[in-house]
Amino acid sequence: MSNSTSNTPEKEHKSSYRTEERRTLSSGEEEFFFDVKTSDMEVNMGPQHPATHGVMRVLIRCDGELVTGSQVHLGYLHRCAEKIGENVEWLQYLPYTDRYDYLAAMNNNLGYSMAVEALMPGLEIPRRAVLLRTINVELNRIASHLVAYGTYGLDIGAITPFLYAFREREWIQSLFEKICGARLTYSYIRIGGVFNDAPPGWLKEVGHFCDVFEEKWKEYRDLLALNHIFIKRTAHVGVIPKDMAIDFGLTGPMLRGSGVDFDLRRDMPYMAYGEAYEAGAFKVPVGSGEKGELGDCWDRFYVRVEEMMESIKLVRWCLGVIEDGPIIGEIPKVIKVPAGEAYVGIENPRGELGHYVHSDGGKIAVRCRVRGPSFTNIAVVEELMPGTLLADSVAIIGSTDIVIGETDR
Amino acid sequence: MELQAIHDTLKAAGVVGLLGCDEPRPANKKEKDPGRAGMPFLLVDPAEIVPLLTACRDESRLQFDLLIDLTASDPAADGDDLWVLIQLLSLKYRHRLAIKAHLPKSALSIASATAVYRAANWHERECSEMFGITFEGHPDPRKILLPDDWAGFPLRKDYEFPTEYHGISCE
Repeated sequence: MSNSTSNTPEKEHKSSYRTEERRTLSSGEEEFFFDVKTSDMEVNMGPQHPATHGVMRVLIRCDGELVTGSQVHLGYLHRCAEKIGENVEWLQYLPYTDRYDYLAAMNNNLGYSMAVEALMPGLEIPRRAVLLRTINVELNRIASHLVAYGTYGLDIGAITPFLYAFREREWIQSLFEKICGARLTYSYIRIGGVFNDAPPGWLKEVGHFCDVFEEKWKEYRDLLALNHIFIKRTAHVGVIPKDMAIDFGLTGPMLRGSGVDFDLRRDMPYMAYGEAYEAGAFKVPVGSGEKGELGDCWDRFYVRVEEMMESIKLVRWCLGVIEDGPIIGEIPKVIKVPAGEAYVGIENPRGELGHYVHSDGGKIAVRCRVRGPSFTNIAVVEELMPGTLLADSVAIIGSTDIVIGETDR
Repeated sequence: MELQAIHDTLKAAGVVGLLGCDEPRPANKKEKDPGRAGMPFLLVDPAEIVPLLTACRDESRLQFDLLIDLTASDPAADGDDLWVLIQLLSLKYRHRLAIKAHLPKSALSIASATAVYRAANWHERECSEMFGITFEGHPDPRKILLPDDWAGFPLRKDYEFPTEYHGISCE
């Protein structure tokens, strides 16, 4: 690993893209020549670029097709989530959590709710609420990974898988619409439980979805993950060795793609995951370097593909044990949280989503810190880019599966 | 490993700058103590942060190999201190450590943790622009989320909201 500063373009670097000269032809006429220099050219990828998955700017310096340095610029979508957290009541902040990782809003709701619940020692979450939370979080994980799957195909140049993936994602969204009324920003998981019970027939439909998805999943895997051209584009590209992944603090599929067997759901269980793991309901997929090298883009991608199937198994397990009962603990209308501080991290589709909350016993938080997984995961791109081809830079950014709403918050 | 055990392990390894544990405690009405809920923190001396983090990472019984989060907090506008908060995680032993360092507002400077964990790089940049803390020895101390010309430190409690930005009224 080289020093992180060595591969970023220097500030005072002056780029001249063209060489210009005047030549005198044999006829005596003067002619003006110019040539576009291909060495040491700076390419601005973004802020409006489809492959950056949002408004992010990557400044790439390249020598012909070869990338020699890169610098990531964030902040185009900064919406002051943490400052807002210090100005609104505990429950009022919940809808803002939907908006950082907008592809996995259920997970964000859960992370925030669990952090606040950690400050309320007497609060008990009913079992039905725990299982409803787990079902919804896992369905949301599938939906989020489907977007990752589809858009990564788009980045690489495969358009059809995207359309397939969005067909199933649409179904998950309509399931969410039935249970909470929203398709993207749910605010469904509340402090103390969930806010709405499953409508009649909902759990049955989730079971039906699992059956159908299991069949479709094989199609997805064969269509994109095992596609020869796709493998050629992603294997051996953007390799993150184990120690580098750990040094950069990567979490989630990025870490597991590099061969580190760690998943908060299994290793530091919360909600129903501990019980589910003991019952053998899910495994933790880890990258193996099957098609290329350990920690390449394909490994990261395939970890996500496999995780979708594990989530289906988890949902099935939850459907088997769920029983009728209350769905929210005893929570007053205006929540007052006891004085204290807590940090709670949960496994989001993109990695560890952490909330540090600090209460002075009042209605409003003193500090509400959000640790978004995309923010740390994208930092590694600056390190991966130098030495790769310009076309691979898209494959590398796509494989990190970032959501700009979360990097910028 | 529980926090007290981690504290003792570090102490046995000869780490300096340990200032004790901030454990949660139940409310005590007799002594009018509101108590503290939540999770325990390891209190440390900000001057010793780098050797401490190195020990946390390298000590074989701790092995905190991931720096999950680095942030700060301004608990009170009239308070004297900012808190620097660091979350570590061990992949092998599956335990967490929360570190808290009190930094006086009169001297907001702490050594950068980037030499120990490269994950600290961006977290420190964010922390620096939001709270005005200087991280000594940081390789790339630019702003990260805010515009380069942003004045003030937004997450400080005494921050005043700007009324206009480049001729755009914000009121």
